[in-house]
Amino acid sequence: MANDKDFFICRCEEVTLREIEEVIDEGYHTIDDVKRITRAGMGLCQGRSCGKVIARIISQKTGKPLEEVLQTGYRFPVRTEKLKALEEEGPSDAENN
Amino acid sequence: MVQSYDVLVIGGGIIGLSCGYYLTKQGKRVVVLESGGFADGASGACDDMILFQSKKPGINLELAFESLELYKSLVGELEDSLGFANYGGMVLIENERELEVMEEFVMQQRSYGLDVEILTKAAMRKKQPFLHERFIASTYSPMDSQAYPFAVMHKFARKGRQMGMQVVHKSPVVGIQKDGTGDFLVTTAQNMQYRAPHVVNAAGAWAGKVADLIGLNVPMEPRRGQIIITEKIPAIGETNLWSAKYLVTKLKPGIQIDSTEEEKRLGLAFALTRTEGDSYLIGSTREFVGYDKRTTMEGIRAIINQAVSFIPVLKDVNFIRAIAGLRPATPDGKMVLGEHAGVSGFFTAAGHEGDGISLAPITGKLLADMVCEGRSDARLEELSPNRFASNAKEVS
Repeated sequence: MANDKDFFICRCEEVTLREIEEVIDEGYHTIDDVKRITRAGMGLCQGRSCGKVIARIISQKTGKPLEEVLQTGYRFPVRTEKLKALEEEGPSDAENN
Repeated sequence: MVQSYDVLVIGGGIIGLSCGYYLTKQGKRVVVLESGGFADGASGACDDMILFQSKKPGINLELAFESLELYKSLVGELEDSLGFANYGGMVLIENERELEVMEEFVMQQRSYGLDVEILTKAAMRKKQPFLHERFIASTYSPMDSQAYPFAVMHKFARKGRQMGMQVVHKSPVVGIQKDGTGDFLVTTAQNMQYRAPHVVNAAGAWAGKVADLIGLNVPMEPRRGQIIITEKIPAIGETNLWSAKYLVTKLKPGIQIDSTEEEKRLGLAFALTRTEGDSYLIGSTREFVGYDKRTTMEGIRAIINQAVSFIPVLKDVNFIRAIAGLRPATPDGKMVLGEHAGVSGFFTAAGHEGDGISLAPITGKLLADMVCEGRSDARLEELSPNRFASNAKEVS
């Protein structure tokens, strides 16, 4: 029977709660650290679904306040875009941050 | 409070972690001081290539061969696949002039033992059916490989920790002194102090600033590389790709290649690699813009226009992220590796520019040999930091 920690937190990259907790236990306590090591949040949704859940897990495991863990930026583009949308000149609704 | 170690490594990117790992493996007590978090600098914002075809025959190509062998043994040693793969690589040739330069270059590389050849248009298209019609030929090397930088860094850190290595994040170094005992005393922004008889400056694009803290000269300029990342898509070709234009301008700066002003300003070159996550990384720019590591609309648009002109089907692919990293660039295009003549016990291992992933394992291993055994083979002389010591100060 599957363990209760073997479910996906990040569905885009199929990263489980167990994998995320292991990395936190190794001493990686920021969303960026966890993302870079596990790939959670690197997929199509870019962490928009799982980012806050991961922040909450980090907060619960480390005792750091949630607001502190949540301080991170999103990489351009803010939404996914077809390459051809930027191929032509002109403004785009994907903005740098 | 002062903590004592055998070696302080400044910089927790792939080079610093490799140095830390190999030093720890040789029995040294090591702390790696990283100014940011995990993979915060260039090692976390790059592609994943272990390229041979881009290396000038000479020390860089020799070390790349040795590094590849180390990667193969690290897969077992670090108990992880490290995203190591061997898809091979092709350099795309647009015209006769590029073909001429590449033919000569391929001959030189073959004489150094690199398995590389020129493919006809038909053979090229068989491997890369989605290429634009205009390419007349390409090179092909089955040796070009790749590794996933995040996995390599994480496993260097994990295995290193198991053997006693410390890695401390968010600890920018603000002071380096040598005290009466001959030890170095390194101070971080949090006012923590670390003491050791050896310091390794592996601070990448910041290596010049770190050397400056103890009065040494390491000429290092940050060179921004922007890259875009696509969604997961099925494979669009057999190998990784890049453009001859980049190699020709790097190897034969005298040759005039048709480039637009924008291409020159951005240092635009085509590079395409399939990642661990089945996305493609498409690059890239090589720009001197100081320590600004933001992505720009100009850069991203130039990369996209170029990519679609090379492989038209990419226009319907989504890109999900753009990244930028500061490659550490030296004036002569070679890394800096060795002990500084003026300050014994102070080493620099930095300046790999676009070769950091390729050369990380061999850099760490050679550095550890130098620190532990005072040994440095003669062929590494040309990488010594002392090559800049005499004249560089006068110039600046």
